[in-house]
Amino acid sequence: MLRNVEGMITAEALTKNYGTKRAVDGISFTVQPGKVTGFLGPNGAGKSTTMRMVVGLDRPSFGSVKVNGRGYAEHRAPLREVGALLEAKSVHRSRSARTHLRALAATHSIPATRVDEVIELTGLGAVASKKVGGFSLGMGQRLGIAVALLGDPQTLILDEPVNGLDPEGVLWVRNLARHQAAQGKTVFISSHLMSEMALTADHLIVIGRGRIIADAPIEHIIGGANVPTCKVKTDSAEQLMNGLAAHDVQLTRVDAQTIQVTGLDGRAIATRALELQILVHELTPVRQSLEEAYMALTQDEVEYHSHLGNELAATSTGKQGQA
Amino acid sequence: MSTATMKRPRSAAPGAAGGGRLTFAGVLRSEFIKFFSLPSTLILILSTLVVMVGIAALSVWGVGASLKAMGSDPEMAAQMGDLNELTASLPSSGLIFAQLVIGAMAVMVMSSEFATGSARSTFVATPTRQPVFWAKALMVAVVSALVALASLLAAFFVARPIAENYDLPLDFASEMSQRNLWFGVLYVVMVALIGLALGTLLRNSAGGIVVLAALFFMLPLAVDGLSMAVSWLADAARFLPDKAGTALMQVPGAAGALEPWALGLVVGAWIVLPLAAAAVLLQRRDI
Repeated sequence: MLRNVEGMITAEALTKNYGTKRAVDGISFTVQPGKVTGFLGPNGAGKSTTMRMVVGLDRPSFGSVKVNGRGYAEHRAPLREVGALLEAKSVHRSRSARTHLRALAATHSIPATRVDEVIELTGLGAVASKKVGGFSLGMGQRLGIAVALLGDPQTLILDEPVNGLDPEGVLWVRNLARHQAAQGKTVFISSHLMSEMALTADHLIVIGRGRIIADAPIEHIIGGANVPTCKVKTDSAEQLMNGLAAHDVQLTRVDAQTIQVTGLDGRAIATRALELQILVHELTPVRQSLEEAYMALTQDEVEYHSHLGNELAATSTGKQGQA
Repeated sequence: MSTATMKRPRSAAPGAAGGGRLTFAGVLRSEFIKFFSLPSTLILILSTLVVMVGIAALSVWGVGASLKAMGSDPEMAAQMGDLNELTASLPSSGLIFAQLVIGAMAVMVMSSEFATGSARSTFVATPTRQPVFWAKALMVAVVSALVALASLLAAFFVARPIAENYDLPLDFASEMSQRNLWFGVLYVVMVALIGLALGTLLRNSAGGIVVLAALFFMLPLAVDGLSMAVSWLADAARFLPDKAGTALMQVPGAAGALEPWALGLVVGAWIVLPLAAAAVLLQRRDI
C-alpha cells in the first residue's frame, strides 16, 4: 500500500507558528486514496491551517507536506492534482460565478465545457451569471466545490464543506465525497461535526490544539471490539498513567481521579495496577459513540493545558507541552 | 436557488477537465479575464480619459485666454521660446489626476484579491505565485500604457483646435510634444507599477492608495516646502518618482536638473525596486 504515493497526502512533522502561537504542532499523517478521510477537531484546532499548508497558501514553519510525492507547488498542473475548497466565497464580490470559474480554468487551459460541467454538477446553473456578492453561504459553498472539481483532480480537500448547506446540500456533499472515494480518489474533509463525519468518513484524523489525538479507521475510534476502552478511577492517576503508557495505549485524563484507557482491557489494567500497588476504585468498560470519543479526546487537550501541566504531557502520549 | 436543480455527482471520466498544465500564458489570460470582468475597470479607464481630455482643454483655454488678456505685451514676444515648451506640456496637464486614478486601479489589481478572499482561489490555482504577480505587472503595464497613450492623444487633439484659436503653437511632431507624449506614457506606467507593488505589499486598497498619493502628492509638496530651510532636500527631491518622472517630459538641461540618463535610471529604479520587493515578499508571506 505504501509503495505508491499516487493520490496520497503525506505530512511529516508539519508545524505552523503564528508569532508565538503554535497553530499546528509537528503533526504527521497520511491520507490514503479510495476512502474518505475525515479531519475532525474543534474550531481553532489547526484543521484549516493544515489544509492551507497542503495547497501552499501557508508555508510550514517546520516539516513538510506532500501530495502525490511532491510539494503541491511543484506539480505542473496543480489544479489537476488537488481541488480545494478552503473557505466559501474566495471570490471577488463583483464577479459572476461563471467568470470566476473561467478565470481559474484559464490558468490551466481547461476548456469552457468543463466550466459548464461543474456549474451543472453543483447546481449553480440558475445563478452562474449573477454576481457572487449576492450569493447565500450555501451557494458560496457550491461555487467553492465547483472550483475544487474544476480540474477533475485526483485529490479533493474540502474544509468544512457542509457549512451553510441545507439538508439536501449536506446529503449531496456526502454523496459526492463517497462517490469520489469509490472511484479511487483521495477525499480529505474537515469538520467539527462528529455526526457528519460518522456518516461520511472511512478514516478519521482527530486534531486538537494543533496535535493529532487519533488517527484510525472510524470504527476503531467509535470503539470497536478490538480496541477496548475503559474508564478507570484511582487516587494515583498520574502514577497509573505512567505505568500504562505504551505505544498502542491511549490515555486520556478526564479529571483528577479519572482516566480513560484505550487499547487495554479491564484485566490488563487491573493487573498493571496491582503490580504498581495502585488502588483502583472503579474500572468500567466503555463503548463509545463517536461523539463521546471525540468529546473525550478533545477534552483531554483542553484539560491538561488548564491544570495538569507539562509532566503529564511528557508521560501520557509523549507530546511536548507548549508555552 | 432550488435544490431540485442539483445533480448527483457524475462519473468523471479520466481527463474530463481536458486542458493541460499551468502556464504563464494561461495565468496572463486569467488575469485579463478577472480584470475586465469588474465594472470598476471600465469606469476607471473612462474617467481617466475624461479627466485627461477635460483638464487639457481647460488649461489650453486658460493659458490662451490669459495671454490674450495680456494683449500685445512686447515682453511676451521675447519669451516665445518658453511659450513653446509651456504649450506643448498643456495636453498632458491632466496627468496629475489621471496618475492617481490609474495608480489606484493598479493598487486594487492585487489588494482586491486579498480584500475579497479571491487570493485563495488565485494562489491555489497558481501555487508558484510568481507567475500571478508578473502577469499582473505585465497587464498593468500594458493597460496603463494604452490608457495613457489613448488619453494623451485624445487630449492633444482636443486641445489643438483651442490652441489654434488663441494662436498658440501646438505641433504634434515637435520634440516637446513627442517628449510629453511618450515620457507621459512612461510616467503613468511607473505610477501604475508602483501602485501594483504597494497593493501587493500592503494587501489593502485604502492603505495602498493613501501611500501612493502620499508618494506623489504629499511628499513632493512637503519636500518643496522644507527645502527652503534644508538645502540638501532640494537635491534629494530630484530623486522622487514624481519629480524624476515629470523632469523627463521637460527639455533636458535645465539648471539643477539631473542628466537624462540619470533620470532614466531613477525612473527605472522606481519601477524595478518596488516590484522586486513586492515579488519577494509575496513569495515569503502566507496568503
